[in-house]
Amino acid sequence: MPSPTTLLYLLIGASILLIAFLIARPSLTASRGGKQLAFVVLFLLPVVVASMGAAEHMRRSEQTEFCLSCHIMASYGQSLHIDDATYIPAAHFQNARIPRDQACYTCHTDYVMYGTIGDKMRGLHHVYVQYLGKAAVPIRLYTPFNNRECLHCHAGARSFEEGAVHNADPSIMAAIKANQLSCMSSGCHENIHDVAHLSQLKFWQEPK
Amino acid sequence: MNAPEQSMARRLRISGVLIILGLLVEALSLVRIHPLAFLGFMFIGGGLLAAGMIVYLFALVSVVPPS
Repeated sequence: MPSPTTLLYLLIGASILLIAFLIARPSLTASRGGKQLAFVVLFLLPVVVASMGAAEHMRRSEQTEFCLSCHIMASYGQSLHIDDATYIPAAHFQNARIPRDQACYTCHTDYVMYGTIGDKMRGLHHVYVQYLGKAAVPIRLYTPFNNRECLHCHAGARSFEEGAVHNADPSIMAAIKANQLSCMSSGCHENIHDVAHLSQLKFWQEPK
Repeated sequence: MNAPEQSMARRLRISGVLIILGLLVEALSLVRIHPLAFLGFMFIGGGLLAAGMIVYLFALVSVVPPS
């Protein structure tokens, strides 16, 4: 079965050939069949190609490679290789608790184009800043990290639900699930990307 | 070919050229996984496709029926 990208290329190639044929012989559209052909190649096919292309680009934008293609994100990519299991993103990445090729998107599901219209505008602003502006250093999330991103995997997991610290007080679990007690900034799992101290850390070498 | 037919043929050619350019941009945008490829796909490729389709639809509605 050909990949979606191969199918898309084939469809684009076939569309271009048909349109070129129509451009060379516009008199074809005088007949009923010619009119139908024109409607298919000048309207339906472009709509199908654009829809398939948009779906493919959305899929590609979930890739770690996509996020790390901006220079400012390089250190965040490097932080996924910190050789210390207390660093949450690194431990998740290295132990394949998240798909490595979608590492950023898995924990930042509502970021830029995957969020609201306002988030999408932020995504465009990021591209502007990357090429024409100056990024704020250090970069920060627009809103505090939401426990929802952790809970979409950990909720229901035995290690989380029956964890001693999570159940030390009956109110803790409810506060975590209601995003009132942050998994990260409450002092429990506070080691995250820590890009400011990368030079002092050891790194895991990912096998080729 | 009479004048309305010539006009129709010209609009179809313009529409076809715009759509071919849009399709080429969309094909090129698939070569790399990069934010600029996404923006090129959406704004340049999508814009050319939309313009081509609008010219085609305009050509359809502007046909003068034979009296």
